[in-house]
Amino acid sequence: MISLSDIPARPAAWITLPMVVLATVLLATPWLLPAIGLYQYLGIEIAIWIIFALGFNLLFGYTGLHSFGHGAYLGIGAYAFGLFQQNVAVSLWGGLLAAMLAAGVAGALVGAFLSHRRGIYYALLTIGFGQIFWFLAMKLHRVTGGEDGLLGIPRPPLTLGPWQVALTDNRALFYFAAALLMLVLVLGWRLANSPFGRVLQAIRQNEIRARFVGYEVWRFKWTVFTLSAMLAGLAGSLLAMAQQSAYPDVMSLHQSGLVVMMVLVGGGLVSFWGPVLGVIFYFVARDVLGGLTETWLLWYGLIFMAMVMLRPEGLAGMLQSLGRRSPRHPQNATPATEAA
Amino acid sequence: MIDLLPHIINGLTLGLLFALIALGFTLIVGVMEVINLAHGSLFALGAYFALTVIGGGWFAGTPFGAWWLSLPLGLRYVLALAIGPALAGLAGMLLELCLRPTYGKPPLYGLLLTFGAALVVEELIRLVWGTGEQNLALPQSINSAFLLNGMIFSSYRFFAAGFSIAAIAAVWLFLERTSTGAVIKAGAHDSEMVRALGYDLAKLRLLVFGFGAGLAGLAGVVMVPIWGLRPHVGVDIVIPAFLIIVIGGVGSFWGAVIAALLVGLAMGITGAYAAAWATMSMYLLLIAVLGFRSRGLLGRKSALEN
Repeated sequence: MISLSDIPARPAAWITLPMVVLATVLLATPWLLPAIGLYQYLGIEIAIWIIFALGFNLLFGYTGLHSFGHGAYLGIGAYAFGLFQQNVAVSLWGGLLAAMLAAGVAGALVGAFLSHRRGIYYALLTIGFGQIFWFLAMKLHRVTGGEDGLLGIPRPPLTLGPWQVALTDNRALFYFAAALLMLVLVLGWRLANSPFGRVLQAIRQNEIRARFVGYEVWRFKWTVFTLSAMLAGLAGSLLAMAQQSAYPDVMSLHQSGLVVMMVLVGGGLVSFWGPVLGVIFYFVARDVLGGLTETWLLWYGLIFMAMVMLRPEGLAGMLQSLGRRSPRHPQNATPATEAA
Repeated sequence: MIDLLPHIINGLTLGLLFALIALGFTLIVGVMEVINLAHGSLFALGAYFALTVIGGGWFAGTPFGAWWLSLPLGLRYVLALAIGPALAGLAGMLLELCLRPTYGKPPLYGLLLTFGAALVVEELIRLVWGTGEQNLALPQSINSAFLLNGMIFSSYRFFAAGFSIAAIAAVWLFLERTSTGAVIKAGAHDSEMVRALGYDLAKLRLLVFGFGAGLAGLAGVVMVPIWGLRPHVGVDIVIPAFLIIVIGGVGSFWGAVIAALLVGLAMGITGAYAAAWATMSMYLLLIAVLGFRSRGLLGRKSALEN
């Protein structure tokens, strides 16, 4: 059984070297992207999906709970953000809070139903609930706009005390998303290394044993599900701002499966950095392969199948085994810089 | 008051078709303990191969194609009904070969691999057959409408339902009354013991997967005239199929059949009152059943829970 092996044995530092590297790369991204022939919006997409994937991996990689319906919470966040702007007030912080709250409540309800389940039954139920939310988004025309989507979502300005910055420009929105991403990354890293994070990993390794040791396992499973739904909601609100609209499409099984594929290909099963690598790999592959061939999803699917068959520990796992062979330990974030 | 009878009949015929789809799924889950998320894609493959057989496909325009199209539609349909599922079965065997490295690992890996395979098959279908919606030509004898009690019914629905009953009975007889069926059931119960008794487990798995995939393809050929044929149909169909498996209890033959009928009925009756919400009823049924019986209606303990 593979395990998350880049978690230090002793309590970790708040800031690690890969984080500094990633932050530097993010700062430079608006200049890097045009330089290699890509566009600003891609940076926003990558930042949003990394937030989503990091939250998802708390569930998938750390706790070993396989949710195949996580796109639902991304969508709920996007709709909640849009509906808040249109019906309550045009406010950035209010919208973000509303999105996290809505996705968190949905996650808490579903989590309460799921948390006594295990293994495949857990995965199957997450598909069922994900489909219910997707279906509701499609059918509740008056609230969500149905298949046409919820259109005309504004990008409210960022207000910090007396400061006000407009986010209408893609570069400004990218920096805002990147700042949130770094916040999620640091807090997620702390959480994964906290006693709470260790219990999550214990549940993954052996749920029954964790229960015998005295942990109320279902409560941990419920908490981590709710938390990851809230992070999905946060990502969803950024997505609503980026697209200036929200569509039921992100809630479909297809999209929920994509985040599973990204995280696994990146190496979410063995590394905290797996989701970061996986998301960057996916979007770069989409734009590079997508430029060469119409059927790039076919190739991505084949890469994914090969990964599951041969290297389920993903990109991060390959880097770790490379690092083990050479005397110096290269940091996991270095390839992320290259890929970005 | 709405007259419910036609909706109940529609629901039951739909349920029988669902049962046909779920049959191959439950067989593979029972013996291999793999949740085959590509089952819907094999369903779609069977239907697309049948489309090619009926339409002459890649031979269109050649003398052979012209001769082929001069054959009566009924004959071509029967051939399609045999060749489509057979090719889907071969595709299933290929998938089983890909699955081999995941045996002995947590069931998640099988789920992930077949999910990837579903994506790949869907893209392949787009590449080979195009992205548009297509129609399977049907012989006149099974594709007409008739009046019953003042209501119009399509006779194809009844042909499809009768076909499903026959197929379900045939699979049941195969599992219960033949020695191969006995080995398959034994493999589902205790695969180590089956190997110890000298049966080739690898061959058995290949056979079961091919057979299950063939059933998926068969369901595809029969059901697609009702559901329509588009590249996405595989994902559309795998969801009801797996819901039925979970409601019925993973690996249970009659559980799957009963659950399929229940889902069909729920969809039919909901459709009578609120057509747009018909699909929703099956999710609610899933939650209602699993709320009370966590292993489904007739499910027993299985390795998939770990």
